[in-house]
Amino acid sequence: MVPPQGVQALQVLTILLGAPLVSGVISHVEARLQGRRGPRVLQPYYDLAKLFRKETVVPEESSWVFLAGPVVAFGCYLIVPLLIPVLTTYGLPLGYMGDILGGGFILAFAGFSVAMAGTESGAPYAQLGSSRAMTFGALIEPTILFVVFAVALITSTDLPYALAATVRSSASEVVSPGHVLAAVAFFLVVLADTGRVPVETHSGTLELGMIDEGRTLEHSGPPLALLQWGSAMKQLILYTILIDVFVAPWGLAASGSPVSVALSIPALLAKAVLLGCIFAVIDNLFSKLRLFKITEFLAAAFLLAVLAVFVFYAGGG
Amino acid sequence: MPSVPSTYAGVADVVAVLVLLTEFAMLRAPRLRSQVRLYMFQSLVVVALAVDIAAVRHIGDLYGVAVFSFVLKVVLVPAIVMRLIGDSDVDLAGSPVLGVASMVLIALAVSVFGFFAVGSLHVHSATLPAAALAIAGAVVLVAFVLIILRSDTVSQAMGFFSLENGVSVASLVVAAGLPLVVEVAFLFDLLVAVVVFGVIMRVHHGRTRSLSTEELDRLKG
Repeated sequence: MVPPQGVQALQVLTILLGAPLVSGVISHVEARLQGRRGPRVLQPYYDLAKLFRKETVVPEESSWVFLAGPVVAFGCYLIVPLLIPVLTTYGLPLGYMGDILGGGFILAFAGFSVAMAGTESGAPYAQLGSSRAMTFGALIEPTILFVVFAVALITSTDLPYALAATVRSSASEVVSPGHVLAAVAFFLVVLADTGRVPVETHSGTLELGMIDEGRTLEHSGPPLALLQWGSAMKQLILYTILIDVFVAPWGLAASGSPVSVALSIPALLAKAVLLGCIFAVIDNLFSKLRLFKITEFLAAAFLLAVLAVFVFYAGGG
Repeated sequence: MPSVPSTYAGVADVVAVLVLLTEFAMLRAPRLRSQVRLYMFQSLVVVALAVDIAAVRHIGDLYGVAVFSFVLKVVLVPAIVMRLIGDSDVDLAGSPVLGVASMVLIALAVSVFGFFAVGSLHVHSATLPAAALAIAGAVVLVAFVLIILRSDTVSQAMGFFSLENGVSVASLVVAAGLPLVVEVAFLFDLLVAVVVFGVIMRVHHGRTRSLSTEELDRLKG
């Protein structure tokens, strides 16, 4: 038997070490879809290793916040995997420390510290990116809240483990209209939060359209490595919530036996890669929205989340 | 009354949600043609609901209604409106006063009102999918928002037709055994509306070279 504390540490390690792999596979698939050969699957690891060896350049005007931001954000991304079902179906000792909202707060705090670090650099594009990230973050927040309400209406608690258990208990739950609406709304939130195409092109170099990417323009060396690693982790965390809580909480370890825990890690990564491929296809099918059209996209996500709540309220869940 | 299988309620709820989502999509759609296509899809979904109810409850008349609705709402009405749009070569329209996001939020508030209004009627029965009825109420109200906020005759016509779809969903859910004559009378009403709206579009376009009702201010002092 693997002790629960060990599984909990494994959850964090899976997210920590698996995130660059998932990003690498996604960008490889994306390049393949565009007819390019694309980077190697392991390229993000090489990039991180390279950045950790480089020196750090700090703008003259900036204070300690500039360097603290990436570290704080990285720490936040290490905490969230403790709260969500990454590998197991049963709750782990620290898993009840916070609910979905708690996890959301920690993710928001990570975003806030990165934005502060970007603002602190004094560079216009980093500040533009930070300001936009905060603005759109505030518009995404209501959608997340209503998704959480929908979850709370299904399970009468907003613990992610409880919803995953409800979904696992009956397959018909996955296709009930309220659940589908909430899941699609959360899918759109993930799309917006990970800087994917209808909202942002994540691989471009056009500063004027940048939101999330813009914030890190002034960072270099190890802090930049932490930021890039952190955003890969955030992506995998959001994928994990979407997969293990809403869409497909199957393949998780039901007990602490070493075999099932060991199997649940590749299962999660495989599901995350599959989901990433869907995002890569979306990247190629749609064009980026104009900045002022993003509100329409977020309004659509909000609409779905609110409808999910009311469908449950009216008894159609 | 025999107990209705729960899949029936599930299908009715899914259909109602789809109808409401297409209604919102029509509110967002800037192109008139895509609006008509959305209406086609919406009508198709309503026809599917009619067929489902006919099969589950063994009501033969409903098959007839479904066939009538299909011919009228999925084939005939869209074809006529598409032709009118084709003749006028205007394809883009929107709301003159509000952006898409605000329109969606207003419609959302209105549909929430619809939910609560229908919910407070306490229409409960073992055979009634409660969510579907409430959502049908919301569809009707969102169709009104569509008619009020969009200022072109095509959107207004499509809003009116889709309002009829919302009413259809409600009547199918509440009173599936409605006599065939009544249902056909509804559809005949729709046919009359198509003719009237067709005349309005023609005449309006002939006079002002546009489909926008913004031009209708000639009688202002």
